[in-house]
Amino acid sequence: MTPRHTASRARQTFLLALVLAATPASRVTAQADSTRPFVRGGVYDKPYQARLLGRTAIGGYAEAHARYERVDGATDEMGFVAKRFNLFTSTRVSDFVRMAAELEFEEGGEEVKLEYAAIDLRIHAALTIRGGMLLSPLGRFNLSHDSPLNEFTDRPLVSTEVLGVALSEPGFGVLGQAAIGRQGRVTWEAYLTNGFHDGLVANSAEGTRIPLGRGNIEDQNASPAVVGRLAWSPRVGMELGISGHHGAWNAFTVEGTPVDERRDLTISVLDGELSVAGIRVSGEAALARIDIPPGLAGTYASRQAGWFLDLARDFGAGLIPTAPGSLFTLKARIDAIDLDTEAVGHHVRQAGLGINFRPTSESVVKLDFVRGWRFDPFNNRSDFARLLASFATYF
Amino acid sequence: MGMPNLFRGLSGIPVGLALLLQAGCSDLLTSTPDSGDQLDSPLEGLSATERAAFVRGDEEFARRFSPATGLGPIFNDVSCAACHSADGRGRPGNALSRIGTPDEDMLRSWGGPQIQNRAIPGALAEVVPAGVHVSVRLPPPVFAAGLIEAIPEATIIANADPDDLDGDGISGRVNWVVPPPWVPGTEPGAGPEPRVGRFGRKAQTTSILQQTVEAYLQDMGITTDFLPDENRNPLAGHAHDAADRIGDPEVPAGTVFAVVNYLRLLAPPAPGGPTAARALGEQLFAATGCAACHVPQLQTGPHPIGALAHQGVTLYSDLLLHDMGDALADHRPDGDADGREWRTTPLWGLRMIRAYLNGDAFLLHDGRARTIEEAILLHGGEAQRSRDLFAGLSPADRAALLDFVGSR
Ligand code: HEC
Ligand code: HEC
Repeated sequence: MTPRHTASRARQTFLLALVLAATPASRVTAQADSTRPFVRGGVYDKPYQARLLGRTAIGGYAEAHARYERVDGATDEMGFVAKRFNLFTSTRVSDFVRMAAELEFEEGGEEVKLEYAAIDLRIHAALTIRGGMLLSPLGRFNLSHDSPLNEFTDRPLVSTEVLGVALSEPGFGVLGQAAIGRQGRVTWEAYLTNGFHDGLVANSAEGTRIPLGRGNIEDQNASPAVVGRLAWSPRVGMELGISGHHGAWNAFTVEGTPVDERRDLTISVLDGELSVAGIRVSGEAALARIDIPPGLAGTYASRQAGWFLDLARDFGAGLIPTAPGSLFTLKARIDAIDLDTEAVGHHVRQAGLGINFRPTSESVVKLDFVRGWRFDPFNNRSDFARLLASFATYF
Repeated sequence: MGMPNLFRGLSGIPVGLALLLQAGCSDLLTSTPDSGDQLDSPLEGLSATERAAFVRGDEEFARRFSPATGLGPIFNDVSCAACHSADGRGRPGNALSRIGTPDEDMLRSWGGPQIQNRAIPGALAEVVPAGVHVSVRLPPPVFAAGLIEAIPEATIIANADPDDLDGDGISGRVNWVVPPPWVPGTEPGAGPEPRVGRFGRKAQTTSILQQTVEAYLQDMGITTDFLPDENRNPLAGHAHDAADRIGDPEVPAGTVFAVVNYLRLLAPPAPGGPTAARALGEQLFAATGCAACHVPQLQTGPHPIGALAHQGVTLYSDLLLHDMGDALADHRPDGDADGREWRTTPLWGLRMIRAYLNGDAFLLHDGRARTIEEAILLHGGEAQRSRDLFAGLSPADRAALLDFVGSR
């Protein structure tokens, strides 16, 4: 076993130990989960669920973009995208069992994906068993990425290029929470999943691309991956989370026959949100280590990293007399990814500014300006800029 | 009943904002770099059809291959652009290794002449065996390949002086190469007879098409209609033959022609403006004998593409082979070229060398020189006299000569 294998296994054990240790150590109460959603904007915190009349509620969100993109002084895109149309269902089967699903139609139906379809069996506030197609708890953004909630039109680079949001995987595991003091709480989720497949190398021409290893619907290597997140929130609006994903991405054994060396992918993510002086601050930082076959070294990255920081400030609540529930938001983001930390170049940086208008909390019109710099593996720079107008609404 | 109107009377605001942004933000919205500073600009005066061909080929030149699109089984890098930085030269990390030994069979059994140091999963990369001559080749720039191709053979031959009849110590030689039979007869540099080699560090290739097809196969493991059989590591064993799962040929002839046309239509970068120092440098360039090999200008002949016909090509090369002495020798013959001979490297584009190498400079066939001066001082053989003249110049004259060369 190589030292790297040992190290990543140690990290995996550490993560599980943290999750387990959190359970008996804290005071577990029912109050914690009845007053606050498990993940703000997450699976069981969507507006349509308030309309629950019968047993099953149906809702969703839709998102449309108008995009004007320039690269090195030339117009690269000036067009419209029917970005997403997502359908949700949620069913309270009994006091103990609930089930939610999300079906996504992306880019005018070019991609159709069952993003979520998982059954929860609730035993206790501290212990729910979840199984099915689930959202991997890898950074908070993956758990809560609906466009009507996001301040920016595009998702952060680290989410789309490094982590592969929305990352959903067939899996099985547990989630739970415990209160800490009057306002605080700890939440945890940990699952065994199929993990990633070798598309992250085999299907990718742009060097290692973790998102291309998603969709491992059928297990390839008889070796589950483990993914988990532990989050501490001292009060509403403030949270710190650590999460990780670890597992083999290649089919190193086929029907019991070893056919290759085991190659692991380990992703660690730190996420946080905070509210100071009316400004919501949120961000995420991720580090990925990928065991690359020796023959591909130098062209496929074995380390990637990225982070983003979002700032948002609401203003003008009810300023529009005809829409008393309306709200404006000023927003800013900085965003960087390094697609190969060992290469001189191969990174992207961008900064965004903009303003949003929400006629009600369920719908948003966004105007974004993004300016960025892309560096090829030689570190040759190319400049890009985007003016985006988008519209997203829950329904 | 309709929906209530949110902004009664305010509908002009977004339009006004958009206009404001358009007016004030040309820099915010990125600006176009000067085409004379770029190595990947098209020639001026192309027709719309030629520009369309250029754009298509540009995409193919940049296309990176993955195992799913045919990369490998063994390869050196994943795209043309991955080695030729922004259509300029590469870094030592992108250099190729060719091995040489008198025993041809032995060479092939090791996977030579070119060593593919990478492999897709399931295949085995090649390694340089012990006890052979290794020729390390830094990727040269590819811009203006069409202008180089359009120079008539007679023009190149006219500068050759294989037996040094003029007694100046410089004996340029043509690398006469028989083109491979799969190069279509319609391509310049094709045919059954030996032709003038002009591409490659030893001028061992006669056509852009051959250079491209062999780059696809040898450098990236991409089979084409022209060379449809995968390149394999002979030492790997048959089990590795299954690693590349993509049917051959992996790229059709049309893609190859797109890339060939792209290279053909690329312009050279513009030289720097004239200064007094450069005028002096230019004189010294001739006086120290640089210009005997680095011929400042050659003329193209007639050509079906107007932008390539009867053009002055200021490449600073005679495209001939010269014995450069022991220090630069790779002891590995290539076609007619022996182990001490190299094609005179064109000096155009040196002005932009650091712009596309992250501030670095790599010169000579293997990138060993880090400055122009170092490259000159490493000249030997036929260039020894010229090198010594350069070394003997006063510091001011040296600086002027270096400024001239570095502004091309
Ligand atoms: C692994 C790196 C690598 C890749 C990939 C690569 N090249 Fe090259 N290229 C080189 C090297 C090294 C040379 C010099 C070869 C020699 O001297 O034998 C070269 C030479 C050339 C030349 C001749 C330039 C001159 O003036 O002599 C052209 C044209 C060219 N390459 C085009 C291409 C095209 C087109 C592709 C993609 C189909 C490509 N290359 C892919 C490394 C590469
Ligand atoms: C006998 C012919 C000859 C003479 C004379 C000559 N050169 Fe060269 N030059 C070459 C050859 C051949 C190479 C390529 C050598 C190699 O790559 O190993 C070269 C390479 C170079 C390079 C490196 C270019 C690059 O991009 O890697 C520079 C710079 C250069 N010469 C400048 C000069 C200057 C300045 C002089 C005069 C002082 C000069 N040369 C005289 C033949 C000559």
